Amino acid sequence: MRRTSPSSVALLALSLAAVGCRPFASSMSLLFRTPEEVPHKITQPVRADARLAVLWVGHATALVQIDDKVFLTDPVFTNTVGQLSKRVVEPGIRVEDVPPLDVVLISHMHYDHLSLESLRMLGPRIHRLVVPEGGLTYVPDGPYADVELPRWSAFEEDGLRVTAVPVRHVGFRYGADSAWMRHSYTGYVVEYHGITVYFGGDTGYEPKNFEATAARFPHIDLALLPIGPIEPRAFMAPSHEDPGEALLAFAALKARWMVPIHFATFVNSTDALGDAKAALERGMLARGLTAEQVRILAIGEQHVFVAR
Amino acid sequence: MLAAALALAYAAVTSATQPDLARVQDPIPYPTVFWMVPQLLPSPEVVFGGNASGGARAGLRWQVTPLLYSFGLNRKITPWRFLVVDPLARQNGSVEIYFSPEYIAAGGAQPDALVARTGVRSYFPILARGESLSVSLGSSVFLYEGRAGAAFEGGVYTLSGILGLQLTYSPSNLPAEWIATFRVRYF
Repeated sequence: MRRTSPSSVALLALSLAAVGCRPFASSMSLLFRTPEEVPHKITQPVRADARLAVLWVGHATALVQIDDKVFLTDPVFTNTVGQLSKRVVEPGIRVEDVPPLDVVLISHMHYDHLSLESLRMLGPRIHRLVVPEGGLTYVPDGPYADVELPRWSAFEEDGLRVTAVPVRHVGFRYGADSAWMRHSYTGYVVEYHGITVYFGGDTGYEPKNFEATAARFPHIDLALLPIGPIEPRAFMAPSHEDPGEALLAFAALKARWMVPIHFATFVNSTDALGDAKAALERGMLARGLTAEQVRILAIGEQHVFVAR
Repeated sequence: MLAAALALAYAAVTSATQPDLARVQDPIPYPTVFWMVPQLLPSPEVVFGGNASGGARAGLRWQVTPLLYSFGLNRKITPWRFLVVDPLARQNGSVEIYFSPEYIAAGGAQPDALVARTGVRSYFPILARGESLSVSLGSSVFLYEGRAGAAFEGGVYTLSGILGLQLTYSPSNLPAEWIATFRVRYF
């Protein structure tokens, strides 16, 4: 397990578990702006023509359909996270249009990944909530079943198999709890009907984690990988991949497709809006990756990777 | 014979304490330096007394929670907290026994004073499981300049309970009848 230095813990605590305000004047205006509208939101996201489809709702929230199963990652539908970090683009789907969810995956405890208010909004639409080891500490009872998955353990229901896989991050929510909330972070691999999807949640670049996951899951079809926040790099690097590192992770996972997540949704770093996407595109060009392999979705955009 | 009895007793005890596999392994909060330092920071307050008190006075209030029972946590998690209380456990619904030493500065005809207060307080979530907004109600007994009294209080909190406003009313304590506390608390 990665140890967190006291200084980084202190900084994270000050920013309310990695959710803080951008200090630069150029970014301040975003804090007072109404979230950008997403035009033509999809109202019926479950598609009869799709075997594997992804709708990016924003940040680490993605609605994934594998045949007749639907799961949602790290749902956040609120206008702020931790009351301080402002949403800059509205969610890519209305909560009332979210279909019944076979599984909701929570990668870790930070406000921008575990949104208790968003779980309340989704309520009985959720059949099963999956959280990392120790994660139920911060998940009150809801109208759904819940389960903790320690690393490398799996949960299976009706053919849908979810395995917790290692990532490099931190398990606390508030800062001072870093002493005892040491394990509550994870990535996941979801398998159903021969299709495999990797969800990285929020992770620093640690090649051995991706290699170990690829060794156990040699046929990953789609990897949802975080590409931000980028700056300040010395602070972010231990627990956040930058776009170039995300492309290395994509290669290490040997996945067929990648969808970048965790950028351009909330004010949570000193990055300018668009930095992460531009850096990703530069990295793709340098590595000869196509837009088909690394599918950069707009918030609210859905893409069918495997059609029926 | 004695060994057999001990073995049986041991088996009975250990079988009774086998972990319930449906129950998760709780991460247990415990005191750390990172927790302790913020506890030293007092919450500023303004004290209003009766006509003879000389108007408003400044004060400081510290707080310790020896015991808290949370009714807002997952049923698989222990509801008990001792000293160290994670914000969700407190703000999403709880009952706590608290102890608050206070310092009230001199003002008008009143000398400065130390107050020892202990009481019971309940928190109730309003928004986002209490992390965005919660309220509290409580009552306490206190010692003020050697005199005992009782008080009632209400509070409202935001930012996971880090910031809040408490109003304390002590009908029997004319020099400190009303206390408005800007509560600053981290765990």
